[in-house]
Amino acid sequence: MMDVTHPTAGWEQVGERFYRKIQLYTQVFDLDLDLDNFIVAGAPYGGAIALYRNEDKLVAFNPAKASKPSIDIYSCAGKLIRSISWDKGSIRGLGWSEDEKLLVVTAEGTVRCYYDLQGDFTQFSLGNSAEELGVKSCKFYDHGMVALLSNNTLISVSSYDEPRPKQLAPPPEEGDVHSWNIIPPAYTLSRSVEVLLSIGDTVYVSDATECEDRFLDIGPFTHIGVSPNGKFAALYTATGKAHVITSDFQTRLSEYDSRSRIPPKYLEWCGNDAVVIAWEDEVHLVGPGGSLARFYYDSGRVHIVPDYDGVRVIANDTCDFLQKVPDVIEDVFRLGTDSPASILLDAVEQLKMQSPKADDNIQLIRPHLVEAVDTCVNAAGQEFSIHWQKQLLKAASFGKSVLDVYNSDDFVDMCETLRVLNAVRFFEIGLPLSYEQYQRLQPHGLISRLLNRHEYLLALRIAGYLRLPTDKIYVHWASAKVKVGSEDDDAICRKVVEKLSGKPGISFEAIARAAYDEGRGRLATELLNHEPRAGRQVPLLLSMEEDELALDKAIESGDTDLVYFVLHQLKRKLPLASFFRVLNPRPTATALVEASARDSDGSGREDMALLKDLYYQDDRRIDGAAVFIREALQQPEARTAGDKLVLAAKLLTDNTKENAFELSALKEAASLLHAQQVLESNLNDDFTGLSVNQTLFKLIKLGYHGRAKKVQSEFKVPERVAWWIRLQALVAKRDWSEIEEISRARKSPIGWEPFFNQTLQAGNPRLAATFIPKCTGLEPGQIITMYEKCGLRVKAAEEAVKTKDAESWARLLEAAGRNTQEGREIERLGLAVFKR
Amino acid sequence: MAPHAGFDTEQVREKARKDLLYLLEGVRGKKNLVIEKELAGPLGVIVKASTLRDYGVDNFFFLENKNTDASQRNVVFIARGESSKHAYAIADQIKRLQRESQSPHEFHIFWVPRRTLLSDKILEEAGVLGDTNVAELPLYFFPLEKDLLSLELDSSFEDLYLAKDPTSIFLLARALMGIQQKHGLFPRVIGKGDNAKRVAELLARMRQELLAGEDVNETDKIGLTPSTTTESVIIIDREVDLVTPLLTQLTYEGLIDEVFGIQNSQTDVDSTIVGTQPLPAQGASATAAPASSTQSRKRKIQLDSSDKLFDQLRDANFAIVGSLLNKIARRLQSDYESRHSSKTTAELKAFVQKLPGYQAEQQSLKIHTGLAEEIMKHTRTENFNKLLEVQQNLAAGADPSSQFDAIEELIARDTPLPQVLRLLCIYSCISGGIKTKELDHFRRLILQSYGYQHLLTLQNLEKLQMFLSRSSPLASMIPMTGSAGATGTKTNYTYLRKQLRLIVDEVNEHDPNDIAYVYSGYAPLSIRLVQCILQKQYLLSITRGNGAANAPGPAAGGAQGWRGFDEAVKHARGQTFDEVQKGEDKAVKARALLSGGGDKKTVFVVFVGGISFTEIAALRFIAKKEEARRNIVICTTSIISGNRMMEAAIEKGTFSKEAPKPTAGVVAAGGA
Repeated sequence: MMDVTHPTAGWEQVGERFYRKIQLYTQVFDLDLDLDNFIVAGAPYGGAIALYRNEDKLVAFNPAKASKPSIDIYSCAGKLIRSISWDKGSIRGLGWSEDEKLLVVTAEGTVRCYYDLQGDFTQFSLGNSAEELGVKSCKFYDHGMVALLSNNTLISVSSYDEPRPKQLAPPPEEGDVHSWNIIPPAYTLSRSVEVLLSIGDTVYVSDATECEDRFLDIGPFTHIGVSPNGKFAALYTATGKAHVITSDFQTRLSEYDSRSRIPPKYLEWCGNDAVVIAWEDEVHLVGPGGSLARFYYDSGRVHIVPDYDGVRVIANDTCDFLQKVPDVIEDVFRLGTDSPASILLDAVEQLKMQSPKADDNIQLIRPHLVEAVDTCVNAAGQEFSIHWQKQLLKAASFGKSVLDVYNSDDFVDMCETLRVLNAVRFFEIGLPLSYEQYQRLQPHGLISRLLNRHEYLLALRIAGYLRLPTDKIYVHWASAKVKVGSEDDDAICRKVVEKLSGKPGISFEAIARAAYDEGRGRLATELLNHEPRAGRQVPLLLSMEEDELALDKAIESGDTDLVYFVLHQLKRKLPLASFFRVLNPRPTATALVEASARDSDGSGREDMALLKDLYYQDDRRIDGAAVFIREALQQPEARTAGDKLVLAAKLLTDNTKENAFELSALKEAASLLHAQQVLESNLNDDFTGLSVNQTLFKLIKLGYHGRAKKVQSEFKVPERVAWWIRLQALVAKRDWSEIEEISRARKSPIGWEPFFNQTLQAGNPRLAATFIPKCTGLEPGQIITMYEKCGLRVKAAEEAVKTKDAESWARLLEAAGRNTQEGREIERLGLAVFKR
Repeated sequence: MAPHAGFDTEQVREKARKDLLYLLEGVRGKKNLVIEKELAGPLGVIVKASTLRDYGVDNFFFLENKNTDASQRNVVFIARGESSKHAYAIADQIKRLQRESQSPHEFHIFWVPRRTLLSDKILEEAGVLGDTNVAELPLYFFPLEKDLLSLELDSSFEDLYLAKDPTSIFLLARALMGIQQKHGLFPRVIGKGDNAKRVAELLARMRQELLAGEDVNETDKIGLTPSTTTESVIIIDREVDLVTPLLTQLTYEGLIDEVFGIQNSQTDVDSTIVGTQPLPAQGASATAAPASSTQSRKRKIQLDSSDKLFDQLRDANFAIVGSLLNKIARRLQSDYESRHSSKTTAELKAFVQKLPGYQAEQQSLKIHTGLAEEIMKHTRTENFNKLLEVQQNLAAGADPSSQFDAIEELIARDTPLPQVLRLLCIYSCISGGIKTKELDHFRRLILQSYGYQHLLTLQNLEKLQMFLSRSSPLASMIPMTGSAGATGTKTNYTYLRKQLRLIVDEVNEHDPNDIAYVYSGYAPLSIRLVQCILQKQYLLSITRGNGAANAPGPAAGGAQGWRGFDEAVKHARGQTFDEVQKGEDKAVKARALLSGGGDKKTVFVVFVGGISFTEIAALRFIAKKEEARRNIVICTTSIISGNRMMEAAIEKGTFSKEAPKPTAGVVAAGGA
């Protein structure tokens, strides 16, 4: 049997629980490298470690070594991934985001975000105040950061993709900040990041809107630590005492006295139950109730990198992981345990020795076998030693075989997961993920970390093994290829396309962008042709100055936002004539330009000049004239409005035949405006804005019949229409005598029925009745109703008698009542004709 | 994976609500809300103003009013991101507040339904992008009813057909894609019309892009296999049938829309008609409207299925609404009287429990009686009847020249312009254009009667191809009456009137037997097209009798798509399509297995460019008949009516010297 240490070898009891120290890697850094001289920051989830020489420390001059400052990125196993030369001056913040972006903050508030471990970065500024006052220090969380300025101002950035530096509620300006820390927004009630600052004897808590004093009197604190779940805080006083409290400052949990005069280098949480306090070479682990474990490193200075479920201890010769022993592991391995899982594990041992005790063991735990198997499976996940992983899985497998029914899904999943974990923990990759961290990072997170390290083969293998999409891996590979590949454009393009053909989901746009950023424009264009998503190509094409192509692709995508975007850019960039030339063969683009010009500045005003030019260039005369007409409508004066109408007409005169109608209408419009002006000055009344018919109506209503006649003839208003207008105007005026006058006319082009209806509705039945005999072509019986409507039953009855309509006659008689005079009259009329 | 539940518009509402409130929650403390006017109504459909207040909204402003004040540190803008004007307006206000306000502000913009490159660019150029928090509020469809989803893009008709701006097509495709991603691909995509075809193409393209997308995870994959709960999607372009919405609507809801106008399921009515608001002011006014002036005598009436009474009346022909109301009033009376007969305390208790219900019903009865009376006043006018008569004659295929005098008279009598134009457009659309001489005559009448600014209106109508000369270049391809040769460029009503039996004389409004009841005898062509797909047997049975030689109909239920009506459909304008979306076989089978099949499936009927309430009523009539087999969900870019179509074309400016006042909404045709 191989020589393996028992899992409990590195365990230390802290209070009631055990903590373990697992040696992940050995011989991490060159022994010449004095870690004491460096600032060290490590990415979460076993990520990379960045080293930067601490500027405050003096270093012996070494002519053999280049003295150019640089930020060196190592894996946890000490493999140098990349060295980034740094010439931007003093660094006031060095940290990582959850997705392994390296953030470097300068004293002037410039933040560089190195997003791929390979030295590519984006940059933004923390704003004017940071530049003027200077950044003192920074704290980082999942995807954001907070910077503390020299006047205690706090600047927060909550996203690196769209950095919007925002000032938090300011803590008191006077008083040094002894130490500070943050609670990430994911764990606060306010959904804003909260900052704890030790000022004076107390602690201030600041968020987006307010800063509160927590009224403590035990400060100042040299260290403030916040637990990974944001629920607890540890405060370390200058006198060497550590206080653990809830992060809302409501409950004091425990206290620990380190009895050390020397301020520690680090105070970090190890999981959510214990605090790690580290000096140069000594690490204290303080658990609940002040219980303690001590670890010593004789190789010199150590650095602590906190992670979600423990801390990594980095020293020259080792990289250790310190964590609470997971429940399942404790269940199986704790000395003297008799848990079903531990007995199951023993059974496998016995089985190997072909001892019948194996069966005895199984019988012993029979009722708890399922639980035992589950525990073994889970414990395997928590174990870093491959030997013990195998033992545990064997035990689980054995236990499983005894059970009649057992769902093996978890077992299979765990085997897969462990294979992946072991592969990436291998020292050449150097990603010492714990099972917990892997669960949080997720497989796709792991893949992107491998991509950042250019470990394409392993990434592909893992993706294939876990049935994950592989397109991103290929795209990343190809992008790297076009950046560093030394072959000529054609060769690279061929190679890339060859490799990626037939693979769904490949974003050639991303590859093309990489090529373009590298200055290989032609390669970029060629690659872009392979991009299936038209919309995706547009922004890149624009930046490549392939304007027309960009416009075509935008139109093809159907996404009008893209079209608008391209047009917006082009309009600013090109001379107007060229802009129109681009538009001309593209009706959709033209339509969108027209639409946005019609309402260009959000207040309903249109960009008339642009439209006029556009229509002129495209020889769209009618549309061009329309712009002038709209302008005419906006003129404050009739005279200028008339001028605009003339301009509109001028555009159409080239083709008098085709535009005959428009031309005459424009002419009429202008003469109407003119005529109305004349009327206004003569009659001292408003006319402008009225239509021809309304003008007529108004004139008649005011009694200017002569002028009305003149307008009618000038604008050739059809006779029938004119009659209607006259009738309505007179009725509105209640000018009964004039109506009577008209009724003397022999013929009306609209018949006399409208006269009857209108006067009746206006409340003059007497006059209305006079029109009844003049009406022609009425339905039989209609005359009867008409008289009836006028209240003339006798007349109606006469008509009924005339047409021999007995029924109506009877109805009329009924309505009048037989005993009234009217009734008797009606009866008399009918007697002769209608025999009873 | 659990078997997928069928489509439910309530999910859409719930998701929209959650998205909005989540974003609001992210803005700490009190805030002022600045809403684009056109969005206020639709937002009211998903969340009440009182809820917004619970989430810290202090004051409401309309973006267009430019009166946002500095009373709160947080200012939240909600606007549509597609058009540049909102970005400019927001940038202006941010700059103004920054300049004028003493205290610093936090600005937030929620773009609906998506953040656009254009808006970013404009904000960037204005120098305010860095000072704002930009978020997306992905509201595409607003659920107006259980069976009705609308993008509520009020200007979609104008954009699509007049300005030729295809934004609403893209948004519609996006919205439908959203449904597909949640419920699986539409197994069949059928449709008619060029814009409908464009939607289908975009759907296909988006599917490809999704397939090519990088982050395809498990949930997105559903969107890549055919759905087991959806039967098909039927996409109809408004352009295919412009005549139907131009006709005066005759259903109750349709007439309310004609007379008062309905916006986002609400109508504004003078309180003298419907009485004043009952005391608990919560009720109807759900809109997040900026503090409405209390003096306004208008009252907002919520018109949706939460009003049980309205739900019974809305789709009925107005001819029977009076008697329905009577019946209900009598029932309510007798129910209420039953309290006298209740003897035992238990009976009395039961009655008291029902009391709030009675009161609500009573209230609603009062409203609808008021509305119905007002509509009745309107429908009795000479003008209304004249209009209706001409419309119906034209629709029935009477010789248009016989209607000239009537149209001329209506113009001379100053009938509201939209109504007159509707008539002329019906004439032009049905006859495939108008003779130049007649056209010029009518155009002159319009200009003289309503003003020369309407030269622009007439040009717009020509661009819309709704009112033009037969010799116009835009009409060059119109097939002359009866000639079946050139098909697909213009809807041939003369041919289709017979082939699809658009005129049904013996229509019974009380117990309708055909969709023609909605127009008292005219069956909307747009909906007949839907019947070509969903009710083949029925449609064959009513069209066969008329001797028109139809292809021997494979009346069997197996026929799908346009089968059996291919020839007729060719005579309607635009492209015809019928595509089947397949997925990987394995996945299809697996999902079929999971869902068990056999359940009712959903058919989405999609109208590009808008649908009228009357058409909705007709579709609901079909849905009722098909209830046992399928669910019908209606999707549209907006709700439309003949008046709204005309508003798109009508020039609002005048030659009058006063500053042009905002024209009051559509004026209904009404008494002289």
